[in-house]
Amino acid sequence: MVAKVARKVSGWIGWAFFLDLLDGLSLTLSYMFSKTITERYPDDEKWIPFPRYRGHHFLKSNAEGKTNCVACELCSRICPCRCITVVPHEDEDGERHPQVFEIDLGRCLFCGLCEDACPADAIALGRHYEFCDHDSKTLVVGRDALMAMPGKVERGGEVVAARLSTEVGVTVTATGDGEGVDWWRHIRRR
Amino acid sequence: MESFFAIGLIIGKLAVVIAILLVLPIPLTWIERKIAGHIQQRLGPMRVGWHGLLQPLADGIKLLTKEDHIPTEADRFLFTLAPIIALVPPFLVFVAIPIGDSVTIFGTEITLYLADMNVGLLYILAVAGIEVYGVIFAGWASNSKYAVLGSLRTCAQMISYEIPMGFSVIGVVMLAHSMSLLDIVEAQAGLWNVVYQPLGFFVFFVAGLAEAQRIPFDLPEAEGDLCAGYHTEYSGIRFSFFMISEYLIVVFLSALIVLLFFGGWHGILIPLPPVVWFLLKLSFFIWVFMWLRFTFPRYRYDQLMSIGWKVLLPLSLANILISGIFML
Repeated sequence: MVAKVARKVSGWIGWAFFLDLLDGLSLTLSYMFSKTITERYPDDEKWIPFPRYRGHHFLKSNAEGKTNCVACELCSRICPCRCITVVPHEDEDGERHPQVFEIDLGRCLFCGLCEDACPADAIALGRHYEFCDHDSKTLVVGRDALMAMPGKVERGGEVVAARLSTEVGVTVTATGDGEGVDWWRHIRRR
Repeated sequence: MESFFAIGLIIGKLAVVIAILLVLPIPLTWIERKIAGHIQQRLGPMRVGWHGLLQPLADGIKLLTKEDHIPTEADRFLFTLAPIIALVPPFLVFVAIPIGDSVTIFGTEITLYLADMNVGLLYILAVAGIEVYGVIFAGWASNSKYAVLGSLRTCAQMISYEIPMGFSVIGVVMLAHSMSLLDIVEAQAGLWNVVYQPLGFFVFFVAGLAEAQRIPFDLPEAEGDLCAGYHTEYSGIRFSFFMISEYLIVVFLSALIVLLFFGGWHGILIPLPPVVWFLLKLSFFIWVFMWLRFTFPRYRYDQLMSIGWKVLLPLSLANILISGIFML
């Protein structure tokens, strides 16, 4: 409102009564009492990434609980960092599966080429993004751990309630029923 | 016996005032950071204590345990003296600042001020002027380019703005026929001085901003172009002396604005205890100072000088002239 008045009586009157300064002050005042947009990340809230997000890899499994992977080694071939190791073997049913499937996350650049190359829809990059570690050896993740990793999210792009725990390592676990809120809800867009 | 009691009362009041003034910067830094945060749609400190309430304490411990560094090229005597010179005047000023008339506790009447001088206002302006020496010494003794530039700017700025500041209160003194702050407040019992002296208030407020070296007049410590200005070379507890002094000057200027222009402890409409009224107005003006800080950018140096000499000085002179004509 002040801005409109300032534009109307611009010139000498506005200049003499500092209307442009008052305009700025009214803007900061309105911001002072508006909702904050800070995401209180480790303490109270956590960001659920979009489905397109490329986080920690995971291996999809079929109805019997076995991995989809047929150990064709295409992902290992296309990987620009050579961080995927696959050793195939034939199980009792005569199906080809990986005996060893290791990803060195310390070398991975999360380009997602393995996901594109996979013919069996087995490997993909999921939602998990908190896996830093003090030891680079623990960043080499094996087959079973990859199968246990959380997959992609349905909707994503939300902030959910979370809790920080420092008892065993540092973990931020989402709490509540998983209903998130849009992070952009309080951001003004003109 | 009577005189012992009186002396004891004065010492007690002195101790309370000093304790409050030493502790006051702690909540003020927290409030300032919260206001800064909320203006920028952030939350400000949140992690130490409830809503970051203990953050100033953590910062205080950090400052106390930091290395107290004195550069080899520095003038050691002046370097150690400067923070003290900067810190003492804000404390001295509060001797003359009343926060209320008097209260009766357990049958004895206790005055809510340390000294009622008949030249109270003159004393305040004079003592507040000494604080500049701390800043100038700090810059000079540091023997560093940034610090010297900062303190030179302070020197020029303080001298320019002390004049309109002094002139702008003359109108108030003319209305009250006294320089005692108690008389000035009593004279505003009917109508506040800001109604009679809007121009005087404006000049005093702007000059006060410059005196407190707050944005938009914080050229002495412009982070962008001067590192930190006069306290570039200071660290640890000596740096915190400058910080405390800065915050106390904000409080003192707000108190002076309330006393001179906004009726001191006289309230309007809502009947509240006079001290509560005074503290409410005081905190309002402290908040305004912080609000201004996070709204405006810094003035350029030549703009600062031309505002001081070409705008504020003529305005304050005109204010004296107009008040004089109306007094006749």
